[in-house]
Amino acid sequence: MIKVRDLRKVFRVHRKEPGLAASVRSLFRRNWVDKVAVTGSTFDVNEGEIVGLIGANGAGKTTLVKMLSGIIHPTSGEAEVLGHVPWHRNDDFRRQIALVMGQKAQMWWDLPGADCFELLREIYQIPRDQYRKSLERLSSMLGIGEEMTIQIRRLSLGERMKMELIAALLHSPRVVYLDEPTIGLDITTQRAVRDFLLDYRRENAPAMILTSHYMEDIERLCERIIIIRKGDIVYDGSLERVIHEYAPYKQLRLNIHRASTLQPDSEVLEKMGQVVECTPGSICLRVSRAKVPEVAAELLRKYSVIDLSIEDPEIGDTIERIMAGRTGDSE
Amino acid sequence: MSLSLFFHLVNLESRKLMSYRVDFWITMLVNLVVNLVVLWALWTAIFAESGAEIVGGWDLPGILAYGVMVFLTGRIVRGGDLQMTISTDIYDGALSRYLLYPRHYAITKYAQQVGNVMPDLFQSVLMGLVAIPVLGLSTTATVTPLSVAMVIPTILVAHLLFFLMSLIPQYIAFWADNVWSLSVLLRFVTMLLGGAMLPLSLFPDQVQQVLRWLPFVYLFEFPTLVVLGKVDFTQWYIGIGTCLLWCLVIGTLSVPVWRRGDLRYTGVGI
Repeated sequence: MIKVRDLRKVFRVHRKEPGLAASVRSLFRRNWVDKVAVTGSTFDVNEGEIVGLIGANGAGKTTLVKMLSGIIHPTSGEAEVLGHVPWHRNDDFRRQIALVMGQKAQMWWDLPGADCFELLREIYQIPRDQYRKSLERLSSMLGIGEEMTIQIRRLSLGERMKMELIAALLHSPRVVYLDEPTIGLDITTQRAVRDFLLDYRRENAPAMILTSHYMEDIERLCERIIIIRKGDIVYDGSLERVIHEYAPYKQLRLNIHRASTLQPDSEVLEKMGQVVECTPGSICLRVSRAKVPEVAAELLRKYSVIDLSIEDPEIGDTIERIMAGRTGDSE
Repeated sequence: MSLSLFFHLVNLESRKLMSYRVDFWITMLVNLVVNLVVLWALWTAIFAESGAEIVGGWDLPGILAYGVMVFLTGRIVRGGDLQMTISTDIYDGALSRYLLYPRHYAITKYAQQVGNVMPDLFQSVLMGLVAIPVLGLSTTATVTPLSVAMVIPTILVAHLLFFLMSLIPQYIAFWADNVWSLSVLLRFVTMLLGGAMLPLSLFPDQVQQVLRWLPFVYLFEFPTLVVLGKVDFTQWYIGIGTCLLWCLVIGTLSVPVWRRGDLRYTGVGI
């Protein structure tokens, strides 16, 4: 459904030094610099797939989404969404996509939701019957009732986001871009939005691209993630594989009888793996995956263990390390 | 764009503006009182000073009627003074929303602009009903049912021309971000050269000859002369046709500017 080949975007930005003198100088001469936002991205997204686009602020996620939704033109490269070049903005293409932006209201501020939806019905030429059913289904899934008759600007952030979601999905798009859809929402609303998106996917099987800084969004919604660092795709694969590929270790956590005569010694433990914690009664070791059974057996033999747990590292930590360019278990 | 969507947008936009009741009535009263006072004071003084009964082909009530009518029709033609919405959309990234919709952006904005006119249209009719009897009748200008019927399509094409004329200066926002000064310049130039400040018959003959070849005259002076019964049928047909021709020329010129600007759009603000 979405094919991206070597897509690249360079922005030309005006660099202005601080201060009055620089402001005056800039009236006569401007300092322009090229800023590479996306460096040759290549990937595909299939029907029914939710792909998480992850990266630090300024990594190029939103720029990529803007190009794929046809808002901006790329500097070079190709993309095809539902068989269309997005930035040609063919009406048939635009009827089948939606973009939700958590940081930017897209509805008419002074109008109640009901009026906005009616206008969208006209814009997308949705048959009345289909519109009514769609609106009822989406609003019941999101628990929207009388809020529909209140001006958008008077609604809470969570209610506004629910309205934005209804507005974006009313025309049953086949491709949905979600740019930080849960940003600023309370935990209950975040959960409601995630559940809603999962239900929507189950019923409609659209291709979805989601950007978010919340790991819970990624873990709940995406099986596959694309990690972007400084405009470059550094990882494209399953959420599960990222752990195996970029965190080839597990954490062994042991609680030991405090009364035991043999207490942990960090010098001994360092021979088994990387010591994360070594206190009387408690050990935490980072051990390569292959050595886990052997090290666990040795620890059980050596110490009087009350409890042993073997854990994968936090996925958020692993992704954060990839985004920061710190990969592998070498650190 | 379908007609039903066009009128839906017009309807929504006008409802939105008329929902602010205080603003609606204050705008109308202040505009009416200030303009009547300024017009009356200015032209009474000019006629008294010159000692003439007719100036530039107008008597005092006639020129006052011209002043009122050009003000009332001008408000409709300018479309509620919202000619910066496109540049603002480009500047703050609100354009992105419209680019996602399967509808033509400029036509959508035009529908909104027409919607913006509705409160002005309503106010202008009310103000006209008050102002004309106050200013008295003229021997040089008369408002008749026929002239009112003729002015409706005239204002419609003038409004379209003004919208199209404002497109290119607004598209400059793709390059310059802030085009407020251009917008002010456009407004000043169109009002001066279009006869919104003074009837063009008061300009020197050579200037009048040049202005007849430019589109500005169709924005303000032409609709005003039509409503004041100073344009016969033949002149009216030619005027409407020429105005539509200017619409075509200016609309066509705006297309490549949009295309070049669109390539530079960054959607900043989203």
